[in-house]
Order: sequence, then C-alpha cells, then structure tokens
Amino acid sequence: MQEMVLIQAGGMARGESVGEAVEADVRREFEARLAECGPLAYRVARGVLRNTADAEDVAQEALLRAYRYFDRLRDRNRFRSWLVRIAFRLALDRLRSRKRSEVRDTLWSQPEHRPPAATAEDLAASNEFQTHLDRALEELPEKLRLVLLLAALEGHTIEEIAGMVGISTGTVKSRIFYARKQLAEKLRCHSNTIKTR
Amino acid sequence: MPFEHHKDALIEAAATGVEPESELRAHLESCDSCRAAFAEEQALFASIDAGLHVKVNADVPVSLLPRVRARLDEAGAPRNSWITSGFVLAAAAVVVVAFFAARSVRRTNVGNEPGETSVKTGIPPVTPPSQKQTAVVISPVGKNSNSPRQFNSVKNSAATEASVRRNNEPEVLVPRDQEVLLAAYAEQWSRHKRAPLLAQDSDATILAQLRIAPIQIDELGVKLLAEEK
Repeated sequence: MQEMVLIQAGGMARGESVGEAVEADVRREFEARLAECGPLAYRVARGVLRNTADAEDVAQEALLRAYRYFDRLRDRNRFRSWLVRIAFRLALDRLRSRKRSEVRDTLWSQPEHRPPAATAEDLAASNEFQTHLDRALEELPEKLRLVLLLAALEGHTIEEIAGMVGISTGTVKSRIFYARKQLAEKLRCHSNTIKTR
Repeated sequence: MPFEHHKDALIEAAATGVEPESELRAHLESCDSCRAAFAEEQALFASIDAGLHVKVNADVPVSLLPRVRARLDEAGAPRNSWITSGFVLAAAAVVVVAFFAARSVRRTNVGNEPGETSVKTGIPPVTPPSQKQTAVVISPVGKNSNSPRQFNSVKNSAATEASVRRNNEPEVLVPRDQEVLLAAYAEQWSRHKRAPLLAQDSDATILAQLRIAPIQIDELGVKLLAEEK
C-alpha cells in the first residue's frame, strides 16, 4: 500500500493571495457602484418610510446586503434594479415592524410624552397633507407603490423604471396612472376638492 | 347633476395630465362648477406629485456612504457562495460517481460469472434469481471429511449460499463442462495439498530418458615410425 502525503504549503499561500485579490476586485467594483447607487437606495427607502433616520438605516442595510451577495449577481448591469428591490423590501419590512411598535407605544405611552404640535399654520397644513399622503402610500399595493416612487425620483425615465422593475413601459405607465388615481381617491376627503359633490 | 355626468372623464383627464377631449372641453367652457372641480382635481394631482417628489428626492445624508464603507470594512469579504456551493456540488458529484462506479462493477461481476472462473474467499456469489446459471461452485473437501471423493457441485440455489457460508475453504467458480475434471483436481489437491501434474513429480522418469551419455573416446595407440617399416 503506497502511502499518500498531501503537501499544500505553497498552494495554500497561492490560494490565499488569489482569494485576497478576488476580494479586492469585488470591493473595488462594489465601491464604484456604491457612490452611484447609494443615494438611490436611500431615496427608495425614504419614499416608503416616514423619517430620514429609518431610511438611512434601511439604505445601509440594503447596501451591506447587496455587498454580501454581490458575487451572486451574474449580470452586474442589473445592480441598480437589484439594489432598488432590496431597499424597497427592507423598507417595507421596517415599516411593518414600526407599525407594530407604534401600536404598542400608543397603548402604553402617556399623552404628555407625545411630540408637541407644529406652531406654524402653513407648516401644519403641509405636514398634515404629507402625513395623509404617507398613509395613502402605505395602503397602495406594493407593485404600484414601487413604480410610483421610482417615477417620482429625479432623472428616471419610464424606460429606466421598466428596466429596473422588469416590466414593460406600458405596464409602468398604467401602474403610475392607477397609483396616482388611488392616491387621489384617498386624499380627496382631506383636501378641499370635490368630496362634497 | 352635470358634474356627476363628467366626473370620471374629468378625473381621468386630471390624472393623465392630457388635454380633455373636445366634447368635455366644450362643456368645461360652459359649466363653472365642472371647471372649478377640474381645477381642484388638477391641483390635487399636482400636490400628490409634489409631495412624492419632496418625499423621494430628499437630500441624502452625508453620513450615509462613510457609514456604509465603515460597515463594509467590519463585514469583511462578501460571502463566497460559489465556494460553499462548489463544495456541495463536488461532494454530490463524488457520491454520484462512486454510486455508479460501484453499480457498474457489480454488474460486470454478475455478468461475467457464468463464463469465467473466479476465486472467492468465503463470500458466496451474488446472482439475480432469474438468471440461468451455467457455472457451478466447487469447493475442495477438507481432511476431516468422511467421503474422500466428496465434492460439492451445486447449482444456483438457496442451499448453495448456506453450504458455501459454512465452508471456509476457498471456492472456485468453473464452467460446467470442466466440472468433473476440475473436481478431480480439487479432490487430489485436498488430499495431497499439491498439484498432481507438477514438473517435480516427473523429474525422475522424464529427465532420465533425456540424459545424454558421456562421449566415448578410444585410447590412442602410439607406435614408432621405424618399427612400422
């Protein structure tokens, strides 16, 4: 019986150096996309969530997750749409968990601990509309909400949104239309429009 | 109400942002309430768009990217899923190859059993029950056997395996037409523990006939030449 001895001292060192080089390449490639797509992740999260702190947390988490699974992305040109979906999904999760915690806070908190109301009349009116808009957005179906948020982002054409979401331009247009219409129906009672007619 | 009649058309026109059709446009020129309602609808959609724009295009915190980079440094290398999946695939491939190799070897052995002779040590031959067996198993009888000419010649049956398992002697699987000859050989082997036709047994007879006699040379007679004359 011939004894088999496996010696890999040189091979191991070579393998480690190759692994480090691959890691450095991945990091470099991701960094190049980070500067471009980081704000996009934040804005998508901000579109779903109501405050900037939550949006920043979600954007960070989305970018970290994208980096963690970066090697799984075969077509790197799809990074933007991939990141948008990650950020959107994480923001929805955060919104749901926050709603649950808000219900708990409402049940247990004292009235004097609530934040003071805004003093400026116009600011209050603006905030009120924005609050209603946020709530109306939360009630939208997810597929309508994502397309509407992307359409509201600066510098995104219908074709780009279609590419990011993976649907046709016609579907993008119809989703935008129905999303705005549903928002208008929900907000009509909060505005001085045709609600009384 | 005149507005209810045109309500959907007005909302649709305000939502799409396109110019109303000629009929609706003519009505709007003549109906103050519908014109006011249409203006309010346009204002509502404009405020929705403005609210969305403000909400979505907020300034990105300057701390976002530095914090992400810091967390990337903490996180280290991205998960190399291809390595783990590669190991899993390699292990699965090895298992599959080993399985098929073992199966093919077993099939080869089973397929070759009737035609070839193989020596087995205590392990009975494994053959499918449906296969017709033309080979027989011969095992030399031990010294403590009662019958000196006894040998086991059994066809493929359940008794074969049982008897073979009991017998720890080496077994030879032979073709059927050589059964008698090889059984006799096995018997002789079991008796004398040596082959009957080895060259060493025939040395005395065969080599004697082949022995070459030494060369015979007569003695030479030496005579003087003068005496001969």
